[in-house]
Amino acid sequence: MTEVLFPQLSDEDPDGEGVLATWFVDEGATVAGGDLIAEVMVEKVTGEVRAPASGAIHLTVSEDDVVRQRSVIATIF
Amino acid sequence: MTTTETPATTAPAPTTSGRRLTTAKAMVEGIAQEMERDPSVFYLGEDVGAYGGIFSSTTGLLERFGPERVLDTPISESAFLGLAIGAAVEGMRPIAELMFVDFFGVCMDQLYNHMAKIHYESGGNVRVPMVVTTAVGGGYSDGAQHSQCLWGTFAHLPGMKIVVPSTPYDAKGLMTAAIRDDNPVVYMFHKGVMGLPWMAKNPRATAPVPEEAYEVPIGRAAVVREGHDATVVTVSLSVHHALDVAEELAGDGIDLEVVDLRSLKPLDRETVLTSVAKTGKLLVIDEDYLSYGLSGEIAATVAETDPGLLRSPVRRVAVPDVPIPYARPLEYAVLPTRDRIREAVHQLVRA
Repeated sequence: MTEVLFPQLSDEDPDGEGVLATWFVDEGATVAGGDLIAEVMVEKVTGEVRAPASGAIHLTVSEDDVVRQRSVIATIF
Repeated sequence: MTTTETPATTAPAPTTSGRRLTTAKAMVEGIAQEMERDPSVFYLGEDVGAYGGIFSSTTGLLERFGPERVLDTPISESAFLGLAIGAAVEGMRPIAELMFVDFFGVCMDQLYNHMAKIHYESGGNVRVPMVVTTAVGGGYSDGAQHSQCLWGTFAHLPGMKIVVPSTPYDAKGLMTAAIRDDNPVVYMFHKGVMGLPWMAKNPRATAPVPEEAYEVPIGRAAVVREGHDATVVTVSLSVHHALDVAEELAGDGIDLEVVDLRSLKPLDRETVLTSVAKTGKLLVIDEDYLSYGLSGEIAATVAETDPGLLRSPVRRVAVPDVPIPYARPLEYAVLPTRDRIREAVHQLVRA
């Protein structure tokens, strides 16, 4: 199992929260390493999340959820 | 004729499953694939480099293609659009970004007297294969000088094609077609369809996009919803609003057909006429100003061809001829909102 982390976008506020803006994949979808899977935002800075591994993805947060940077947003089996 | 025709390529049908992208990312992918394929393609404009475009129209291009092909320009629209025109007539394929269409006033001579007329003035000997990208539209309190659409202003002037995508699929396909076209193409993207996380959430701005390059033919509209009770002709963000209203009213037994024009020049009059011939009723929704614009052009198209197609008078929902207000309630009073569209549909189907 590989955990997918919310990227750290803010160096000034590394523990700050961000928003999971868009999931580009559905729950249970098969992803390949490197695929674009989500877009996230901290303040008004956006970042892309790419799959760190290949497999079936389980989304642990929903779109528009507010989560801390570097926390787990999905797992890949 | 100031434009030459490019043969249309057939685009693959949008898939219902598969990889999804936002409109912004689809647009960037279209640009990147053409830059990869053709070394004469380059991008220039304000904040298009490290910033990635203020509406994410160029995210990642600088890192991928370097500063010689992704150029940050000074705030000098007339100069850098002139640069692009010069490069285009010498055989390059520049894409120049006018950050907000509202800023066209400082550079319009370059656009309508040079970019759009060189092909004609040279007796067809000199081509100007360039794209002007520009952000349009309101709805987020950016005031009267940063919220306009103005596509009617551009489409009024001969010599340039105008495309206005509303979906991720069309954003990529029209970008690819625009870059490959040998004529100047103005590519107008509404900030509200880009799928930007910091704008109002728009579920229709994220959708399946094929990974391979493809073209959406310029000058062809799409019937994005089939129906029998009335035809709604529109473009850009208003397509999303029209579809929302159509889905809602389907529950009340009102069956709307929605036509996304996608290109304003050339204008696909045939698709509009075919739809109106079927439904007998026409509503035009336009986020540009009401008078002397797109909505009048569509109405005239029907009236000139066969007014007998209409079983009731044409209705228009557009921005009344006033500046777009900054104050949110006032802004939403003039924009073509779902409420205004719904009311117009009710009046139309009852008529």
